[in-house]
Amino acid sequence: MACGPVELICQLLVGLSRSMILFVVCAGLSFVLGVLRVPNIAHGSLYMIGAFATFSLTKIFPGSTGFWIALIVAPLLVAVVSLIAERALFCHLYQREHLMLLLFTFALSLILGDLVKIVWGAEYRSVSAPALLKGSVSILGASFPRYNLFLIVIGPLVAIALWLFTNKTKIGKISRAAAVDREMVGVLGINVSWVFAAAFVIGCYLAGVGGALVAPTVSITLGMDHTLIIEAFLIVTIGGLGNMWGALVGSLIFGVTHSFGVLFWPQFAIVFPYMAVVIVLLLRPKGLLKSVW
Amino acid sequence: MFKRIVHSKGLGSAVALFIVLLILPPLVPRFYVYILALIYVTSLLAMSLNMVVGHGGMFQFHHAVFYGVGAYTVALVLTKTSLPMWIGFIAGPIVAAITGLIIGWFCVRLTRLYFAMLQISLGSLIWAIVFRWYSFTGGDDGIHGIPMPSLLSSLNNSYYFILIILVICLIMMYMILKSPFGNALQAIRDNPQRCEAVGINVRRYQLLGIVIATFFAGVAGVLFVVLERSVFADLLFWVFSLEIFIMCLLGGWFTFAGPILGAAIIMALRTFVGKYTEYWTLILGVILILVIFFLPEGVMGYFQEIFKPRTK
Amino acid sequence: MLQVEAIVKSFDDFKAVNGAHLTVGKGEIVAVIGPNGAGKTTLFNLITGQLKRDSGKIVFKGEDISELPPYQICKKGITRSFQIVNIFPRLTVFGNVQVGVLSHQRRSSNLFLPAQNIAVEETKRILETVGLSDKEKSIAGSLSHGDQKILEIAIALGNEPELLILDEPTAGMSPEETLATMELIKRLAQMRGLTILFCEHDMDIVFSIAQSIMVMRQGQTIIQGNLEEVRSNKEVQEAYLGGE
Repeated sequence: MACGPVELICQLLVGLSRSMILFVVCAGLSFVLGVLRVPNIAHGSLYMIGAFATFSLTKIFPGSTGFWIALIVAPLLVAVVSLIAERALFCHLYQREHLMLLLFTFALSLILGDLVKIVWGAEYRSVSAPALLKGSVSILGASFPRYNLFLIVIGPLVAIALWLFTNKTKIGKISRAAAVDREMVGVLGINVSWVFAAAFVIGCYLAGVGGALVAPTVSITLGMDHTLIIEAFLIVTIGGLGNMWGALVGSLIFGVTHSFGVLFWPQFAIVFPYMAVVIVLLLRPKGLLKSVW
Repeated sequence: MFKRIVHSKGLGSAVALFIVLLILPPLVPRFYVYILALIYVTSLLAMSLNMVVGHGGMFQFHHAVFYGVGAYTVALVLTKTSLPMWIGFIAGPIVAAITGLIIGWFCVRLTRLYFAMLQISLGSLIWAIVFRWYSFTGGDDGIHGIPMPSLLSSLNNSYYFILIILVICLIMMYMILKSPFGNALQAIRDNPQRCEAVGINVRRYQLLGIVIATFFAGVAGVLFVVLERSVFADLLFWVFSLEIFIMCLLGGWFTFAGPILGAAIIMALRTFVGKYTEYWTLILGVILILVIFFLPEGVMGYFQEIFKPRTK
Repeated sequence: MLQVEAIVKSFDDFKAVNGAHLTVGKGEIVAVIGPNGAGKTTLFNLITGQLKRDSGKIVFKGEDISELPPYQICKKGITRSFQIVNIFPRLTVFGNVQVGVLSHQRRSSNLFLPAQNIAVEETKRILETVGLSDKEKSIAGSLSHGDQKILEIAIALGNEPELLILDEPTAGMSPEETLATMELIKRLAQMRGLTILFCEHDMDIVFSIAQSIMVMRQGQTIIQGNLEEVRSNKEVQEAYLGGE
């Protein structure tokens, strides 16, 4: 494999675009983790639903518009699913110990995983990118997919949007307060249960966004949830629990090391990011950035 | 008084059960013998997990790794080397315990959630290596057709072997849990700060508990290979780790034999539900939700509550 | 026996303990008093190793124990009870005390013999001393609050300490229980030659059994001395003005 500077830069950019999808999903996971203090194992399943829903929507609305509609509607669908799960079952567990909440999210992931199988079947699906983002551009003489550029741009936009939300809007600020001291928030007369519901739904919405964004770049299959949730967990842990910027840092580390793995040792590409995670955790077991609690 | 009766009744019924299970193979169809043997293997695995989770209070979220390491060790020794087979059998649990020692040493320095996260990441690393190293471990195909000593060539003989090893391991685990070490481990579960204050080196005890538990997980791995004659990377996958966790929870993780019950229920359900539908995962999820909401002490815990002798 | 010099501990910007001094002689009963937030519990946590000091020295029987972890400090001969009840709720009363005794006898790593047969006499003796023999088989979590606090002390005795540190041993107790506990402490000091260091809010108790009293305020030592010296000290009177 030729490894000149051009290849390196291209691979770096590929890694970057992959990181952005991971970031969108992990930002959601981190947000839920920060407010509810529970790692949401169902996050991967919701991501998968986002991808499959995107597929269906592009079939219903053919052509490029299908994708743009899906980008808006699929995450909303995911948000609705998460809201139903939260109001029907999850909210009754808030008084219980955290292990029970974690196990509930695991049960939810099992159920949603099979629901996807029931609704969409077990075949591979694929989605093509909209006309605007099809094809590639030339970067330093090498061709680079336009869609990946789009992802590199979207990532920071989501980060800014989320930052504005948590720092400038009322709900956002209350969520941040609840992450640090939920009792205090309750004492102030705010319905903590609704804060949790909002945080959970928003986090899951982001998972849906990630699913929609990833749809044109991979084959949409049934194992997506499992692969993703482990990666997301690890990213959130090395970044610092509940910390959005930590999720960004973690995603970058993960995506970029994976890309370099592909370049230098394709057979064991997946080992590179895991190794990086292990190294980070051995040196800084609490994560690189400060956790929200 | 009542407790002693229950206790001796417990021992009596356990012995009776053992005898029944021993004479079963010639009397029932092959399929049931196989399923029972699989339940034994999984029960041993669940019991080993419960040693650190239920009795030790640690968040061992990737226990399947040690099971898989034990299984792969014996598989590799039996297929890649010409060493005598019994060496493979012994190497399995030992390598699993060494893995447990290494991973455990890094993990016990951390508190609960971080303990779990570090273990998941170290475990996933091992899984990733096993999954990709096609030339050595067979990658996602696994290794099949592993030769067994002629004594274990029939299903019935394998069944007896597995059952006897299971019982021996259970007796050992029982003795360990009732020993001063087991006492200290449970005390650490309930109140690690207090244990430090009475002179117990909490980390060392937790590490020892992990090594013991992973040793037994390795034994379970070896037994799996005896039964199935193959290994695959799924044995090390984190979803399986959580399934074992569910077995402990379902059975009752503060009781001794709860995990066995949990493993038996889950394996039996999976086999029989699997005949009618391919959506076993969905049903497992529903069961888990029911357990969380209605049976947090597990099935055995629930029965213990009902039959608890009244304190004067 | 125990010497604490200029010990400092801060949490972020808050100086919980700011240069406190304490001297405990062998066989003495020493009390630490001070208003809420004075840093008494933090001081105890520093001595027994639950917290790491920022600066200063803690010397026990001539040895610097400032950097040791709690389990090693225990092995040196210091054990403690905790302010908020810190027992093993799922074990029996017997089991609770036995944990400490087994640890002391270095038997805790024994994997093979059934625990219920080991160290029985020593455990029963401790239970008798504190008066919990009749509740031996009860589950610790079901005891009354007062009994749980006594169990706290009993667990600490399992290690046959030379210095016993009690963090608010009568907090939340009824007057009868408080009196009984005080008698117990006096008895322990006599019977076993124990050196006792404790902190309390109840001044009657302090003045009735303590031989030396150290007064803390805002993380610092105002004075340490006997009853008369402390009572007549101006700063002490100021600290408690408007309080009890």
